[in-house]
Amino acid sequence: MNGSSITSHILRFIGLVALQSLLLNQMTGTVGVYFNVLLYPLFILFLPLQLPTPYLVLLGFAVGIIVDAFVPSWGVHASAGAFSGFIRGFSLMPFAPKGGFSAKDPIFAPAHVGWQTFIQGSALFMGLHILWYFTFSYFAPVFGWEILKKTGAAWAFTMLFVALYAAMFNPKK
Amino acid sequence: MAPLLQLLLRNGGFVTFLLVELASFAIMVNFEDRHEEIWANTTGILGGQALEKRQMATDYFSLYETADSLARIVDSLQARLSNARQMQVPVRDTFFLVNYDSLSKTDSVRRKTVRPQYEFITAKAIKNSIAGTSNWLIINRGKNDGIQPDMAVVSPEGIIGIVRHVSDNYALVMSVLHRESKISVALPRQKNAFGSLIWEGGNPNEMTLRYIPQHFIVQENEPVVTSGYSLMFPQGHPVGKVKGAPKADPENPYFLEIKVSLSQDMATVRDVSVIHNLFKAELDSLQSKISGNER
Repeated sequence: MNGSSITSHILRFIGLVALQSLLLNQMTGTVGVYFNVLLYPLFILFLPLQLPTPYLVLLGFAVGIIVDAFVPSWGVHASAGAFSGFIRGFSLMPFAPKGGFSAKDPIFAPAHVGWQTFIQGSALFMGLHILWYFTFSYFAPVFGWEILKKTGAAWAFTMLFVALYAAMFNPKK
Repeated sequence: MAPLLQLLLRNGGFVTFLLVELASFAIMVNFEDRHEEIWANTTGILGGQALEKRQMATDYFSLYETADSLARIVDSLQARLSNARQMQVPVRDTFFLVNYDSLSKTDSVRRKTVRPQYEFITAKAIKNSIAGTSNWLIINRGKNDGIQPDMAVVSPEGIIGIVRHVSDNYALVMSVLHRESKISVALPRQKNAFGSLIWEGGNPNEMTLRYIPQHFIVQENEPVVTSGYSLMFPQGHPVGKVKGAPKADPENPYFLEIKVSLSQDMATVRDVSVIHNLFKAELDSLQSKISGNER
């Protein structure tokens, strides 16, 4: 990971946290309770594919806790971020080429893995993140049906924004 | 901090994930009101259930002590009941019995507090027979526990027998189902109806009551209790009930022959009490003044 790629990740971190906190979280209150878009996990998804899991977990926790601070929803986004860091490797495994990802694929982005694989991989990754987030947000099994409904709605809206983000910024590193 | 980070990295993603999740969880339940409330409720319910289970287990393991303690309480109550009955002392120059509360009242004749007469000692039957004509029991109390020959043995349901021989730790009890057994009993619904209860063999739940005069009209199912006219059994302890209609005694037509169904099933004797008459030595000594022919 060279200096310019670190800068890209830092900028992405700041940009996604700002977008999530200052725009997307506010839209839920305006548009409706089922309109939830969780875009900040893209920071975790776009971290280098060769990065070891413990770093992914810690960085996931870091991005989550900062989003928590803006909401505020202490610990819920942090928990979901750490979870996404932990499962990123497993959720992208089915979409890896034979022999796994190599140095040729620095990040899981359409520019390296193609649009179809990117949408499939990010759909699974985002779905798991959102499910974990709403499970811990409601924090009681009695809300099971509500959790599933919100997860489904949020997943659909989030994937739309993921595609838009990837098309607009087309990240390469 | 750096060594901790090294440790996390060395041990892979799972440990890191676990620790970070624990931290997130702690943040959630400490800073989020809703999460704190749900968490407190859940731990309260689970904690309560765990405590209840623990209490149930503790109760189960202390059942033996509880049973032992209850047996002692039963003994104490039986002693108080028997002693309270005994407080019906005859007042001089009258035929009336006067009731005395053994704890607070005084004997008007003696002008001093009436002393209790019986002490109950808890025991367990460790051997029992009912099949022969001379049946015996062995109980797990002996000389070391204050057991002496000629003490009565009862259960809360009925009478069991009389101690005949004692060793240091055990005692041999002559069962009421013994051909030499003869217990003085009464019919409490009749006035002054006393007789002797004997066993004629056969049915182990049935004994024969003799020497109740013919003029008593005895009904079926009337209760039969100990009479108190012995140095061993206290007055009024349950024995059984009249079984069937009384007949004239074929050996002595002036008396009735009454079958008595025992209230204590002699085949299932387990927890018993040995009765110590605290005045027995004094009464024995008094009785020994009467010459053999007069007795």
